[in-house]
Amino acid sequence: MSEARALWEAMAGCVDRHRGRVAVVGSAEALSYEELGRRIREASGLLRAAPHVGFCLGNRPEYVILYFATLAAGHLPLLLDASFNTGEIEAIRDDCGLDALVLERAKAEALDLPGKVEPLPFDDNVVILPLARRGEPSYEARPTTEVCRFTSGTTGRPKCLEFSGHAVVSAARNWVLGTGMTGDDRTLCLAALSNGLAFNTSLLSTFLAGGELHFLKGAPLTRPVARRIAESGITRLIAFPTLYRNLTAPGGPDPSLLAGLRHAISAGAPLWPDVREEFRTLYGLDVSDYYGIAETGPVTFERDASHHAGLGQPLPGAEIRIAPGPGDEPGAGEVLVRTASMASGYLNHPGLFEARVDAEGFYHSGDRGRIVDGRLHLVGRTQDHINVAGRKIDPTEIVAVVSALAGVTDAVAFPDEDLNREALVHLVVVAASGELTRAAVAEACRSRLASYKVPGRISFVQEIPRTGVGKPRLAMLREQLNAKGSAA
Amino acid sequence: MNEDAQVAMKKRIQRLVYIAAGGKIREEDLGSGETDLRTIGLDSLGYLNLLEGLERTFGVAIDLDQEEDHSFLHTIDNIVRYVVAQRGEAA
Repeated sequence: MSEARALWEAMAGCVDRHRGRVAVVGSAEALSYEELGRRIREASGLLRAAPHVGFCLGNRPEYVILYFATLAAGHLPLLLDASFNTGEIEAIRDDCGLDALVLERAKAEALDLPGKVEPLPFDDNVVILPLARRGEPSYEARPTTEVCRFTSGTTGRPKCLEFSGHAVVSAARNWVLGTGMTGDDRTLCLAALSNGLAFNTSLLSTFLAGGELHFLKGAPLTRPVARRIAESGITRLIAFPTLYRNLTAPGGPDPSLLAGLRHAISAGAPLWPDVREEFRTLYGLDVSDYYGIAETGPVTFERDASHHAGLGQPLPGAEIRIAPGPGDEPGAGEVLVRTASMASGYLNHPGLFEARVDAEGFYHSGDRGRIVDGRLHLVGRTQDHINVAGRKIDPTEIVAVVSALAGVTDAVAFPDEDLNREALVHLVVVAASGELTRAAVAEACRSRLASYKVPGRISFVQEIPRTGVGKPRLAMLREQLNAKGSAA
Repeated sequence: MNEDAQVAMKKRIQRLVYIAAGGKIREEDLGSGETDLRTIGLDSLGYLNLLEGLERTFGVAIDLDQEEDHSFLHTIDNIVRYVVAQRGEAA
């Protein structure tokens, strides 16, 4: 059980301060801060027997209620990706300890986890699934840890990041301060709350400012999103690049529906420059630049709407240093970050986070960039992970799955793009016999990996070109695949 | 709806699925109208694009929360039947 209560104390203060105002708006009802507080207290009783509560749920008011109910009970919420499968959830249970899962009824039925679900008194579609522990978890959370979030790990074991309440409260306060959020703001959050950007820009920051947090039921299609923005007077949109692209595609919604929007923030993956430009032309608004890291929280934000280059200036509480390395152009280097909202470490990978933080407390991001006019500009990445819709995927995890298939003699996974310019994982396989099919490889991945890790493209080759030390020559491989594709 | 119109609609929907999937599905894999699109690579992002495409192309707004059973989106033939029904056209 967590000994620290900074996060719940901050939220309890919000409930008291803004009592009569509207706090959370779903599709069916709006909850005032007072009603939200009442439901949090009611729900905290349901979680009394669960020191560690996993959230495997899409955005909805019940997420907010149960998240703060877990904190109010003095327990530890662990925010899982809603697409995690049975194996990943079991790995988290074994590593970190999980006593209950909060999830949609349909998801509970789809998972292969024994237990009798308990419905919520205020929503029949969301259930609590008590989980029996299989012995003591391998790792114990720090006493200061108040919430855990996950990044992709290897071999189906998501890496669990621990955050102190002070770090989360600092991230939220600095976001409010740095972006000028007020009690008049109504935020429509379409990015998953387990994602760092949504978590930090929406979940607590909205309530600290006394604003409203809105959720959309159903798929985030452009017309319902635009209608909701107009009808609810939304001032801030937290979404992902695909939605912004769809909003700018021909046949999109009436631009006047978005007239009340003051901030449009894109999360997860870099926004395409032409989409940004088109959005500005159509809606008269810039999609805000932002840079954040799972391990450090939000780092930059562009306050000046007329400034279009780079990823913005450091937020309050965030410092950036550029550390030049061999091969970097003048002024460029690795981006080092120190914030007031840093993670404490990886619960199930001791020492991994610490190894990336230097003696002065700067986190070595693996991104390369430079500072121009006080703004951060990224020029590349040195890390090996693949970023698909804001989720970092370790290619070795996919290669491990496919390498276990009979007849596979070599494989490599690397980042690629589909025809819509969306990032995907491209898996290239060398098979000893010609009997292995794409469908069989895809099915093996689907059965072992979360859906977002399943390769979007699978190619077969005779041989993967490698260096003398066995590293794949990706540029050469891409050329071969392109030549093969155009010849086909 | 006559047979020619239905064949034309099927072709348009096959194209919409191909575009929605960003080319991750090969056009030859879409030939059979009965293939489960989820097993050949239509992921959640692809479905989001497909729903946008169906709405813009056929004026069919699909609210997944109103539909308990989503199998009408699982194959090309099911999508054709759904669009025809939504548009009030006789199959």
